[in-house]
Order: sequence, then structure tokens, then C-alpha cells
Amino acid sequence: MVSNVNTYKDLTPARPLDRATLNKMVWRSLFLQASFNYERMQAAGWLYGILPGLEKIHTNKEDLSASMGHNLEFFNTHPFLVTFVMGIVLSLEQQKADIPTIRAVRVAAMGPLGGIGDAIFWFTLLPITAGITANMALEGNIIAPFLFLVVFNVVQFAVRYWLMYWSYDLGTTAIEVLTRNAKEFTHAASMLGVFVVGALTCNYGATTIRIALQNGESVIDVQGILDGVLPQLVPLSLTLMVYFLIKKKGWSTIKCIGLLLVIGIIGAAFGIWGGNYTPLVEWYTLPA
Amino acid sequence: MIGPLQLVLILVVTFIAAIDQFNFLESLYQPIVMGPVVGAILGDITTGLAVGGAYQLMQIGSMPVGGAQPPNAVVGGIMATVFAVVSGLDVNAALGASVPFALLGQYGVTLTFTLMSGLMAKADEEAANANPAGIVKLNYFAMALLGLLFAGATLVGVISITNPTVSDFISSLDGNWIMGGLSAAGGMMRYVGFAVLMRIMLADDMWGIYFAGFALAAILGAAGLGGPALVLVAFVGIAIALYDYNINVSIKNAGGGSGGVSDGI
Repeated sequence: MVSNVNTYKDLTPARPLDRATLNKMVWRSLFLQASFNYERMQAAGWLYGILPGLEKIHTNKEDLSASMGHNLEFFNTHPFLVTFVMGIVLSLEQQKADIPTIRAVRVAAMGPLGGIGDAIFWFTLLPITAGITANMALEGNIIAPFLFLVVFNVVQFAVRYWLMYWSYDLGTTAIEVLTRNAKEFTHAASMLGVFVVGALTCNYGATTIRIALQNGESVIDVQGILDGVLPQLVPLSLTLMVYFLIKKKGWSTIKCIGLLLVIGIIGAAFGIWGGNYTPLVEWYTLPA
Repeated sequence: MIGPLQLVLILVVTFIAAIDQFNFLESLYQPIVMGPVVGAILGDITTGLAVGGAYQLMQIGSMPVGGAQPPNAVVGGIMATVFAVVSGLDVNAALGASVPFALLGQYGVTLTFTLMSGLMAKADEEAANANPAGIVKLNYFAMALLGLLFAGATLVGVISITNPTVSDFISSLDGNWIMGGLSAAGGMMRYVGFAVLMRIMLADDMWGIYFAGFALAAILGAAGLGGPALVLVAFVGIAIALYDYNINVSIKNAGGGSGGVSDGI
């Protein structure tokens, strides 16, 4: 699961990546979500995207394995902006930065892009292009789907290419400052990474309690009570529980996933978890 | 009726659109495109355009953001077009009739994302062996699986045209506790991803930082800033990190290091 290697064996910086390889990775970035899953989200698609670069950079098998290993950790960013993270991470890989540094930069960069990308693409570009062309389509105009595809994809590809080159250059220039105070940089970047993971736990936390009991005139809403104690208490508790199982009990991730699957399904049978379903055992009735 | 060749073409289009909804152009799958394409296959582009346009307008505002899976627009858009052209339903009735199959598509997504969570252990194995080909195959497998499940959902939809009980049966699945549980479990699995990152990154002196990040995100969420929350979190996080960096570099340059700051001299 997690290699405990912190530095690459071969610390000689690799040759800068050529345009053909960078372009290939822009193309591969289209498949970021190919193996999207609930545990690590885009992790394997992310690795698929940067593999051409990693294979050029890490010529010995141990380093390639270490690099592939840490690039399979939880990853989630906006699919249209991912090349920004790719460029900067590849520049660090190419310079053979410490693995904790690369990880911290990756985690710190991926988080904020999600919100930015949603705002640009899903809340602005898509409603405008699809909205206008949908009305054209309703009038029977055959140009509508073509116009939608052209506008949407010109913007998408321009963003993908530009971000990849810009951030690869950015990372390459920043590396000099970084290597001068490598230890301090890693510590600071790890702090930022941990800060972002804390925020992700809250922001991506998606588990709520469904139970609500009618008590005379008033309603006892369990989720409301929990929110009064601490917002997102359930996601935080579950995360800390899994952390404990992995860190102290040495559980594998697959075992944790199995446990959560059981908790999820049994909980739904008793109507504990929020969601739009009818529990198997209806021991309480939802107040209207 | 739908001829065998038309059926095959519709299933192929569904397969591609299913993959495209999360990958590739992420725009081919939109109803505005799928409506006319399916309409063309069935020999009625005009109706396809009308259904695609109507479904698209219905779709705007329910984007797949934040992780929850709304009834799926890929199967929904394709089936709505099929119903409008083949069964001759008007646009609104066709949109309504497509809902159960949109639900079926949503189940397909949930199942794929759950199964692929289990297969991440296999990806780790490929990484340990430094085998890029294994990672490539895993990604192709996941896309093919999603495409096939969606083609299956559309096939069920086409069968339902001549056998209306199919549609009733699928509608009765809505609100099933097993799918509800699977979906709840799906929402929990990301905590494993977080926990692994924490295991690696979180030195004992950083717990405060973890909870500070959590608290800031909670405050921003309560302030109705859930969308840009992570951007704002990054601003604060960068400030903290820069401060930490500058302090430590100053200490190093001042010739600290051996004595350290905790001596209290």
C-alpha cells in the first residue's frame, strides 16, 4: 500500500521532459476519472495520466515503483484543471525532490482546484453553452449540438494545454529555491497538506444521520443535534476510526473498505444513514 | 420498432457516452448531443433534437458535483429519445418514462465506483512491481465495465417498450435499502483515502493543523461558502506554511540547528 521510502535512489535530476511526452500526458489527462472509485477517487487515473513522464524520469525499477506507489494515494481534483497539478508534480519528480515534498505539493494543489473548476466549467461555461444551444435545438436547429461541442471543447483543450506547460515551467523555476532549504520546505508543505486534508474531511464529508423522532409537538432530529455539537461530526469520527484501524491496528485499506460496506448496508437496513430509501426495519417513522 | 442494427448502434453509442460522462471530452454524453445522435440512428433527427434540448434544460442545475449521483442523464437522455421516436410519446411524457432507466444508470455508477474501490489494492500491487501496463489495463477495465453496465441499462429500457412490466419493476427498486446502504457506504469510503494520507503525512505535532483545517472548512460551510471553501482554505494554509518556512529558514541561517529553540537559553 504505502512504501516507506522517502527519497529516490537515483538523485540525479532527469532530463527535462520533451514536448511530445508533455503532450501525450495532456491527452491522457482526459482519462483522469477512468477508474474513479469511492476510496481514492481519481488516484489510478491520475497515475495513468503521468505514467509516460514517470517512466522517462525514473529509469530504475525501484524508483519507478516508489513513485507509482505514492502517486496512487487519494487524489481528487477538477478533471479540466488537472494538468496544473500534473505539471508541477512532474517538475518535482524530474528534479528528484523528496517524496514527502512531492506528496504535500500534490495534496495542496489538488484541493482548491475542485471549487475553481466547478465554478468555471459546471456553473458558468456549461449552463451558458448548453443553455443557448438547447433552446436552438428546441427550435429544430441542427447546428446546436455541433456548436455546443466546439465551444465547450475549445475552451477545455486550451485550458488543459496551457496549464500543463505553465505549471511545468513554474515547478522547474521554483525548484532552485526549494532545494536550497529542502527540509524546511518539506515541513511547510506538509503542514499545508495536512491543513488541506483536514478541510477535505469536512468539505467532502458525505455521511449524515437520517433518524428523526416525533416527540409530542417537537421533532428530535439527530443530525441537527449532532450539528449543534460539531458540524460534520460523523465524517470526522469515521475518518479518525479508520485512521486508528490503519495506524494502530495495521488494517489494510481493503479491510477498511469491507468494514465501511458492512456499516453502510447494515446502517441503511435500520434507517440510520441519510438518503432517499426505505429501511428494512422501520423502527421509527420519519415525521412529515 | 427498432431494427437489430439500430439497436446495436444505440448500445454502442451508450457505451461511449457512459465513458464520456467522466472522461474524454466530457461533453459528448450531454443530452443536447445524445438526443440528435440517437434520433439520427432511429431516423428522426428533429424529434431527437427536441428531446435532447428539453432534457438538457432540465439537466442544467443538477450537475454531478460534490459526489452524490443524481439520476443519470446518459441513460435518461438516450431512453427519452427512444421513447419519443419509437413509442411516439410527446417530449414531456418521454422525459418522464425515461426516469426509471436514469435510475438504473445511477445504480451502474454506484456499483462501478464501489467495485473499483476494492480493486485499488490490485493497483498497489502493480505499483509495487513497477508495472505501468497493469495500471493502464486497470483503467481500461473500469471504463469497459461502466460502458457495459450502461449498455445493459439501455437494453433493458428498449425491452421495456414491448414489455411494460419491466419499467414497473425498475420503478419499484427506487428507495431500496440495499442501494441506499451501498450509496451510504460509497460516501464513507473516501475516509479511507483521507486516513491513508494522514497516516503518511501527519507527524504527531501536526494534529492541531489537521483540526484547524477541519474547523476552517466547517466555518466556511456554515457561512454558505462550501463551493469556494477549499480556495479560501488554501489561502490560510499557504499563509501558515510560508510563516513556518520563513521561521525555520531564519533559524537555520542564524546558526541554530545544533542548539534548537527548545533550550530556553
